[in-house]
Amino acid sequence: MANPLPRTVAATDAALIAAWRNGDERAAAELVERHARPLARFLAGAGAPESDVDDLAQETFVRAFRSVDRFRGQCQFRTWLLTIGGNVLKDFGRRASRRKVVPLEEAVRDRTGNPHDHAEAREAEELLAAGLQRLPRLQREVFLLRAQQGLEYDEIAGALGTTPGAARVHYHHAVRRLKEIVK
Amino acid sequence: MIRNEEGDAGLESLAKRLGTRAAEHVDVGRMARQVVEQLREQPKARVTWIQPAWLRIAATVVILVGLGVVWSHVTPARRPAAVGHPAHYVADDLNDLSADELRDVLASFDDIISSDSAVVPDSSSDFRGLDAQQLREVLRALQGEG
Repeated sequence: MANPLPRTVAATDAALIAAWRNGDERAAAELVERHARPLARFLAGAGAPESDVDDLAQETFVRAFRSVDRFRGQCQFRTWLLTIGGNVLKDFGRRASRRKVVPLEEAVRDRTGNPHDHAEAREAEELLAAGLQRLPRLQREVFLLRAQQGLEYDEIAGALGTTPGAARVHYHHAVRRLKEIVK
Repeated sequence: MIRNEEGDAGLESLAKRLGTRAAEHVDVGRMARQVVEQLREQPKARVTWIQPAWLRIAATVVILVGLGVVWSHVTPARRPAAVGHPAHYVADDLNDLSADELRDVLASFDDIISSDSAVVPDSSSDFRGLDAQQLREVLRALQGEG
């Protein structure tokens, strides 16, 4: 086992990744603690049923740590992690459709309680979540990375392997369609 | 377009709230432990070995199939369609054949003709009266017809 990274000062993601590459499990654990909640928000926003968000986030981390050699710093670690989360969610959707369980779209709408009891904001949120499911995957991910995670187009483009201009166009199309759904 | 999207603060603030409830329920400490346990149970090396192994196997199969195709094209003698007709060979060294050998060759022509056509000319009996030079001329004439 490699020497654990000293934790006296908050280590950067890059330092934690390097430590994990050398076998430091504590570095991996710290990366999980640091990015688990944003990842869970992204997965839930992208259509993961709430009951599966935890498992999907775990799977995303495991997949990311195993393929960390492919992370070349083309974007932030969190952005790269979120794109892996998108792939994990896509695979989950395929498995779910094969098992003929509740489709993602319906699962998103499956909230507890009477819809009339929810506040107006919650209803709008649900509409948005349902609307996101009707977007192409790329548009949905660009929208979430931009609007939910607050990332710049350069960062999004680096993570998704596209250009900032194309990312901007995807975002624009997503917003236009979502506005029609949410209004 | 930019102004349009930048000004859509309502949609963005709504998006920022998406998934917050799911995120609140995440126990990050427990998740970190479980992730580390999974990484221990299924080490990275095993996964990274299997995938290139399959790639190598697939590449080997492709190369072998490709070599097979190339080999079948560069060796025409092995292909049935490329097998030459006996008539292409018989006249090569007619001068070296004796009269008996020339009659045998003409007899083999008879066999070929009788298998290919319904009308079989009874010519082999006439060859007995021909000498070697006449037989060669007959064979050359046959080759010219072929």
